Amino acid sequence: MFQSNSGFKAMNISKLLTTAGLGAFLAVATTARAEETLFAQIGGETTLKATVDTMTDIMLDDERINFTFANTDLAKFKKLLYEQLCELAGGPCKYTGRTMLEAHKKLNTNNAQFNALAEDLYIAFEKHGVPYHVQNRMVALLAPMQPDVVKKGGTGIPEPVQAAPTPAPAAKP
Amino acid sequence: MKLRMLRPTLIALLLLPTLSMAQERIGADQGKLLLTAGFSDVEGTGGGGLVPWAVITGYGTNQSWGANAHYTDIRLRDFDLRSIGFAVGAFDRFELSATRHDLDVTGTALKGVAVSQDIFGLKVRVAGDAVYGQNTWLPQIAVGAEIKRHGGIEHAGALTSPTQLGARDDDGVDFYVSGTKVFLANSLLVNVTLRHSKANQLGLLGFGGDQDSGASLNFETTVGYLLTRKLAIGGEFRSKSDHLGADDEGAAWDAFVAYAPNRYVSIVAAYLNLGNILGPATTVNHDQSGSYVSVQFGF
Repeated sequence: MFQSNSGFKAMNISKLLTTAGLGAFLAVATTARAEETLFAQIGGETTLKATVDTMTDIMLDDERINFTFANTDLAKFKKLLYEQLCELAGGPCKYTGRTMLEAHKKLNTNNAQFNALAEDLYIAFEKHGVPYHVQNRMVALLAPMQPDVVKKGGTGIPEPVQAAPTPAPAAKP
Repeated sequence: MKLRMLRPTLIALLLLPTLSMAQERIGADQGKLLLTAGFSDVEGTGGGGLVPWAVITGYGTNQSWGANAHYTDIRLRDFDLRSIGFAVGAFDRFELSATRHDLDVTGTALKGVAVSQDIFGLKVRVAGDAVYGQNTWLPQIAVGAEIKRHGGIEHAGALTSPTQLGARDDDGVDFYVSGTKVFLANSLLVNVTLRHSKANQLGLLGFGGDQDSGASLNFETTVGYLLTRKLAIGGEFRSKSDHLGADDEGAAWDAFVAYAPNRYVSIVAAYLNLGNILGPATTVNHDQSGSYVSVQFGF
């Protein structure tokens, strides 16, 4: 059936090795500072907090997703997002919010919206001078959350928020 | 640049505003991140320059679709190749493409000879996600086929078909499986493709031959480094098999720069080496290397 592959000649293998070598070199070059935490590489609390603030502003201007934050307590959102990114990046924080699955349960988030938020985060990092390869290390930790954030067949339109139920009058003894 | 070469580019430019206005109404969401939709490779399939990737072309997500037109201009030592095509990706699952190749011989004793072929591609993503799967080693995997129909040899006197050069068939089909993974923490994109093919020089010299009539399994790879959100550099390697006595076909490789300023336009520029082409027949035994420039308009 298959002939031996005459494409693999000694000369070609050397070219292949050059390609593979380039990849290996780049991989080593980008992980050389691995001993430093990502949190430190980003620039610590100051830069990360500023990035979260900027990202929130960009997100609220982003017509692809801003309407999904109509009922969001933005101060709380920023605090929790900072905690989450800080903890993921190896910083001295503990995320105190709900799980991603719980937090997005009623948002009907789709992939385009998930990607839009990632893009807004990239732009915010850019504005604060965080190097692109460092941005990627942060996004690499967020990308696996996609199955919890995105709802299968999500319309992108959040479910309407129900008014808080008025407490029933206390029964008289 | 000749007018007939410019025309498809001009048509695409004129169509662009109309198409981008139309895209909102017909639901193309342009929802993928920049660069993650790949480019149109030399055969019109979503990929890099020489190698098809497992990503589905266009910026449409799993709930949408995307499409693009490309114009690729390759200028080698003795051969110019133009590739013009159109591709559609649907639901981040299926991809269809149609591409035309026009090859002009600009040097050697065959100067003035022209060769063409049409390539129809289809691809299905079968597993994984190249971008989201950062916590797994599973790449995005796709299988595909490229159906190639030869358009004949022109301006070569009695020579009108690759079969006269020793090829078994004018037309043929390549089958491939590709695995693509973005190692985001390292800003690296790695693609590996295995291609089952009888093609001589991408099919431009037909399929099978006097030396070796069977199909071979060829190895192809792309390694790219993401420099910014919009810019990547990298290299590719593609083994090709030698079936023809008149040809001394070898591997091809390139070094590329890819730029996607937005979701409507992307550009790939590369130094390309396609190896020896028709060396024994023309007694010109140089590698055929030169420039590769591809412009893609997406909507």
